[in-house]
Amino acid sequence: MNTKTFHRLRVGITLFVLAVVVIAVVRNTFALAVAGALAGMTFIALARSKARVLIDEREKIVREKAARMIYTIFTPTIGLSAIILLLLDRNRLFYLEFIGIVLAYLTLFIIVLYAISYAFFDRKYGGEGDEE
Amino acid sequence: MKNKLRVYRAMHDLTQEQLADQVGVSRQTIVAIENNKYLPSLGLAFKMARLFEVQIEDLFIYEDNSGSLNDGI
Repeated sequence: MNTKTFHRLRVGITLFVLAVVVIAVVRNTFALAVAGALAGMTFIALARSKARVLIDEREKIVREKAARMIYTIFTPTIGLSAIILLLLDRNRLFYLEFIGIVLAYLTLFIIVLYAISYAFFDRKYGGEGDEE
Repeated sequence: MKNKLRVYRAMHDLTQEQLADQVGVSRQTIVAIENNKYLPSLGLAFKMARLFEVQIEDLFIYEDNSGSLNDGI
């Protein structure tokens, strides 16, 4: 299986999983959504093991840039959303305050995760010492 | 950074796909390098120079402000 076939297969599996999840949400069956997602992940893992997918240095840089952009956009967005939700009238909109708390913890979690992974990769690529 | 990859590829009668296979990258990467959209790593630059039996400086010419994908990394 080459890269093109793998990409087509991946799109097909993704659409299938999406359809299953939509049906599960409409029918209100949580187990079906989980089963559909797990089946999709298993199929993609199997297809990837059979395919000769080339991830070269340009692809890696594109992925790094995309991940960095997602972090840069996503973290302030949910952080600001958390602050706004926490500042709303808590007597009338208590459930929004709860969502705000969840988003605030999520923001902190992402920042901590980023800091840990930054420290790890900094050490891995030789940023730990000053010796000459 | 400018490069003469397209010229050397033509001189050796190689397609982008063949060159990509020989240096272990995708064809899109070769296209990006030829169009000055991507600066190859040192390892890849050496591989290509070795393949064409030239010095790296013959293949790549350094210039400021190229606007490539990996500028500023």
